[in-house]
Amino acid sequence: MLHGDLDGLEDLVVAEYQTHEHDVLVIGAGGAGLRAAIAAAAEGVSVGVVSKSLLGKAHTVMAEGGMAAAMANVDDRDDWRVHFADTMRGGQYLNSWRMAELHAREAPDAVRDLEAWGALFDRTPDGRILQRNFGGHKYPRLAHVGDRTGLEMIRTLQDKGTHSGIHFHMECTVLALLKDGERVAGAFGYDRERGRFRLLRARAVVLATGGIGRAYEITSNSWEYTGDGHALAYQAGAALQDMEFVQFHPTGMVWPPSVRGILVTEGVRGEGGTLVNSEGRRFMFDDIPENYRAHTAASPEEGWRYTQGDKNARRPPELLTRDHVARCIVREVREGRGSPHGGVYLDIAWIREKLPNAAEHIRKKLPSMYHQFKQLADIDITKEAMEVGPTTHYIMGGIRVDGDSQMSTVPGLFAAGECAAGLHGANRLGGNSLSDLVVFGKRAGEYAARFAREHGAATVDTDSVDAAARQALEPFERNGSGEGPYQVQHTLQEMMQELVGIVRREEEIVRALSCIGELRARAERVAVPGNREYNPGWHTALDLPNLLTVSEAIARSALERRESRGGHFRDDYPEKDPAYGSFNLILRKGPDGEMSITRESIPEMPPELKQIIEENK
Amino acid sequence: MAKATIRILRYNPEGDAAAPAHQDFAIDVEPTDRVLDALNHIKWYVDGTLTFRRSCAHGICGSDAMRINGVNRLACKVLMRDVGSRVTVEPLMGFRVIKDLVVDMDAFFAQYRSVLPYLINDSRPPERERLQSPEDRERFDDTTKCILCAACTTSCPSYWANEEFVGPAAIVNAHRFIFDSRDSAPGERLEILNNREGVWRCRTIFNCSEACPREIKVTKAIGEVKRAILYRQST
Repeated sequence: MLHGDLDGLEDLVVAEYQTHEHDVLVIGAGGAGLRAAIAAAAEGVSVGVVSKSLLGKAHTVMAEGGMAAAMANVDDRDDWRVHFADTMRGGQYLNSWRMAELHAREAPDAVRDLEAWGALFDRTPDGRILQRNFGGHKYPRLAHVGDRTGLEMIRTLQDKGTHSGIHFHMECTVLALLKDGERVAGAFGYDRERGRFRLLRARAVVLATGGIGRAYEITSNSWEYTGDGHALAYQAGAALQDMEFVQFHPTGMVWPPSVRGILVTEGVRGEGGTLVNSEGRRFMFDDIPENYRAHTAASPEEGWRYTQGDKNARRPPELLTRDHVARCIVREVREGRGSPHGGVYLDIAWIREKLPNAAEHIRKKLPSMYHQFKQLADIDITKEAMEVGPTTHYIMGGIRVDGDSQMSTVPGLFAAGECAAGLHGANRLGGNSLSDLVVFGKRAGEYAARFAREHGAATVDTDSVDAAARQALEPFERNGSGEGPYQVQHTLQEMMQELVGIVRREEEIVRALSCIGELRARAERVAVPGNREYNPGWHTALDLPNLLTVSEAIARSALERRESRGGHFRDDYPEKDPAYGSFNLILRKGPDGEMSITRESIPEMPPELKQIIEENK
Repeated sequence: MAKATIRILRYNPEGDAAAPAHQDFAIDVEPTDRVLDALNHIKWYVDGTLTFRRSCAHGICGSDAMRINGVNRLACKVLMRDVGSRVTVEPLMGFRVIKDLVVDMDAFFAQYRSVLPYLINDSRPPERERLQSPEDRERFDDTTKCILCAACTTSCPSYWANEEFVGPAAIVNAHRFIFDSRDSAPGERLEILNNREGVWRCRTIFNCSEACPREIKVTKAIGEVKRAILYRQST
């Protein structure tokens, strides 16, 4: 007997589900999803958006620093070419050069779209959008609103979206993509409030589900980040790429334990914050990679001048790329020079030596950080240093897409934002994510609308829908006889943190893969008490297969890449190997249902782009 | 570790739905744990059916507003050491409860949408961005901090008495456009807020300002809207 009893049986027996039909269905309502929906609606097609949480709560809301766009408002030497070269260098040249080019060219207009829709931005004295410095960007490039840029972006897109005629399915989870032959035909899911199934027919689908941070124990990501889009696409036959590249943001909170992993914005370092070990040494000056030496300050004094807008100064080593800074912090901690709670010190209070009104300046420039530390750690950052350490922040890898259209390898299935791969290569620059969301969200929406117009309605195979529904209800049938879903999730998170975290080695990854196999068996037996109405245990049980799929994808790719590059560091292969610089690792579901991995060469870069990179070396 | 008792007002809509009732959970907590951590602990290790909303868990998405010891707070921003060893947690007042601490936000969002919360300006934007001086931008900075958590609206006695009242959160979100130098329709919004369920239902009780986890001066913003309406009528 099913626990959801009559509701459940009725659904299954008559195979009738609440059905909606949209030309374009967007899954995810963060920056990329909302931007895609707005773009598709502007093309005149009908659009539905599904979001796991309430509208406006998506992870984008947490972005602090800003969105990178070569608007040249603060430094007129900037243009898209420099942004392109910075992005490629940061990504260690594994990026899709086409996406990096489009992103750099189109980001300024994408910012202006938001501004035209009412987004608030900090301004230059003459009223233009202000831009700030960030790691890996040669010039001040991040359009921002204090340290709440993501909140402003999501609110602007939400407001624009709600009067663009878009249909929102709030608090609705997608369980499977539906196909008609090769092409996508819609999605099947359930609303979280009532637990009723929903059949969402569509001619084109855009995945914009964000990242995978909840596969790890220490993460800056919100609960929604369970790799849903990655897993849905993979199960539907689409290819994933670059899944070994997970970004560990160098500065998360490390204490108190309850807030471990919460982000400390890179903006702290952009405003002059320094990283210091227990011996009081600015250790970032001790390890500057060769390809960044020419761009990095030679002394603390030069670094300070850079943060204060001196165009002739070079950036301090604290603003090197995130992968490098994170590894330097791990090294300091491992070698016994860490802070009491296993991090290092991030000090912004020191600028009182330089500025007469330092405390007020810090509170004004970094208000959220000031409150975050005051409230949660009882630390006044205008007086004391913070303790910070790496936290799982972002996945560069994701669904393999065409650079121009954002279509995956499944016809009619598009992806944008964090769940898509390509733009960031082996490492993402801070600020390139918010611009990614709006540049490629817009493109995905436009191309999805075009696909929907050019293709007729797809047919949904009702047997596969019924099968998905039955499978989703299984955890209720096992009530009383299996373990709960939270234990499986926690074991997975601890295991991924330990074995496929920031420093990796072969035997640990192999062990992780065998753990994932065992956890998959446990996940298939989890039991959930209660019924279908807003049942958090059930929701978690249904997240588990996605978390396991992305964890396996990360581990398999990490095993295959026997070198260290960007976000992927192998203790047993600590050097970069040029032989690994010419291809992406691609994952697909094989005919036997197993995950297969192949290498696909990166296409030759056109000479004009090569030249841009040369000129910006 | 210290002992704490978390008393939660629970409601299960299913079957023969009983009236909401308090349930006590005795758990071990660190003083630096947040109320959200205590709720997670109960959900993960004691009672997996306990239901509440949360997303970002650091005070910026506005999902976990609830009544903590009778005051509207975000569970992710309140430390256990600041609320004592006996904590009562209840859903926001004034909204229909869906389950446990989860409330129906539809009416709240409808009121928010009713004030036209988007920039209205039909003139063609310039090729680059519209210019806005730092002073003009500062004018409405405070009200753009809103995270739509509903802590203000559900702390407002005028709203409790009359659910048709548009409520402080909607006025805050109208404020940011009314005072935005780029917007060309402040009059339209002022008219909406001048109707009988608009700003005049506000009795300047200041509960909203106290409840706001973003420290927005809500009552002040409402006062500015009231004055803008009066000024407009007198000119």
